[in-house]
Amino acid sequence: MTDGRQPYDEDDRILAGEYALGLLTPEEATRFEARLVQEPELRALYAAWAEDFVGMTDGIAEVTPPPNLLSRIEARIFGAAAKPSLMQRLGLGWVSGSLAAAAVAVVIGLNAGLFDTGPSAPADPAYVAQIAAEDGSLIVQAAYDADNGELYLRRDVGGAASGRALELWLIAGDNAPVSLGVLPETQAGSLTIPEGLRAQLAGGVLAISDEPPGGSPTGVATGAVLAIGPVSPT
Amino acid sequence: MTPDAIEEQIARTATGDRAAFGVLYSATSAKLFGVALRVLNDRSEAEEVLQEVYVKVWHNADRYRANGLSPMTWLITIARNSAIDRLRKRREGQAGLDAAEAVADAAPGPEALVVQGSEREKLVGCFAELEEGRAAAVRRAYLQGESYAELAAAFDVPLNTMRTWLRRSLLKLKECLTR
Repeated sequence: MTDGRQPYDEDDRILAGEYALGLLTPEEATRFEARLVQEPELRALYAAWAEDFVGMTDGIAEVTPPPNLLSRIEARIFGAAAKPSLMQRLGLGWVSGSLAAAAVAVVIGLNAGLFDTGPSAPADPAYVAQIAAEDGSLIVQAAYDADNGELYLRRDVGGAASGRALELWLIAGDNAPVSLGVLPETQAGSLTIPEGLRAQLAGGVLAISDEPPGGSPTGVATGAVLAIGPVSPT
Repeated sequence: MTPDAIEEQIARTATGDRAAFGVLYSATSAKLFGVALRVLNDRSEAEEVLQEVYVKVWHNADRYRANGLSPMTWLITIARNSAIDRLRKRREGQAGLDAAEAVADAAPGPEALVVQGSEREKLVGCFAELEEGRAAAVRRAYLQGESYAELAAAFDVPLNTMRTWLRRSLLKLKECLTR
């Protein structure tokens, strides 16, 4: 079995299938892998089995992983130090930084069922957002009820530092961030969106900053921007 | 996301494009997490495996084209193999399954290039043509990572009998799939 091998040798076909299933002993698998590097025909046999067998996963339902998993993966790959901070990114421009994050965000918040423990969350929100820190240390779900202008908020992970408050901001288009108020200290609560801002929610970005109790005294964020998330229609 | 679009994100990921990596994750992680959960039946272990999978994807994205697999097959196979490897840490005596999808050099072989999605639909029908229990053995090997010895015990037959059964089943399966 070392020379004169035909491309579609029956034994190799079986061997490739056994390898793809993981049925070979460690020694057999090592030998097979050494051949795999050398023999394109064998790679083709393996690839064909891999395509066949993956059909066994067709019936396996998708399950959304936890929202902070991508951050954990990125931390493993890039290391915490290599990541630009939100402040750095926002320093380059609120909107561009936020939209880059929006492009990669896993939109978890589209499920109204997420709000089943909220105070009286809308059954059919017009918009939702997941406002999340890059490292997953703060995650707030938001759902907007267009009927009464209330933005329902549920803090899933993290919270304000001791003696500090979390303030919510709306960034619409090229406009400067506008405060929507200080997040309730309770895990779930709501804020009334001023009528003049309601139309700006669509396509906007929500951000949460670290502020003194009662919120920023100046009308612009004074502390670190902790979390951001795009507003999505349901 | 279409296979072409997933391939595009893999290609961009290979150049170090973090945003593309994020898009790839968004588009594919739910399927891969489902597979890991199915194999491991343990949420925290599946989360750990999913992290390993995407770290591998990041580091091996430049080798994707060399292995001849379609993009979702490549990703699902990495997830399945990683999950099976973890499952086997509870057991022993089996080889790791990491190497094949990471093979670096040369172009895909001719057979892989003609494999189409329609092959998958045939799989169920071809499993049905196998003798009773044989398809189940193939499934258990693939989705539960069982060895020949474990399959022999589960089906209460001698080891060599199981090996013969399964090898014949693979030939029949391939004959049916390429019919």
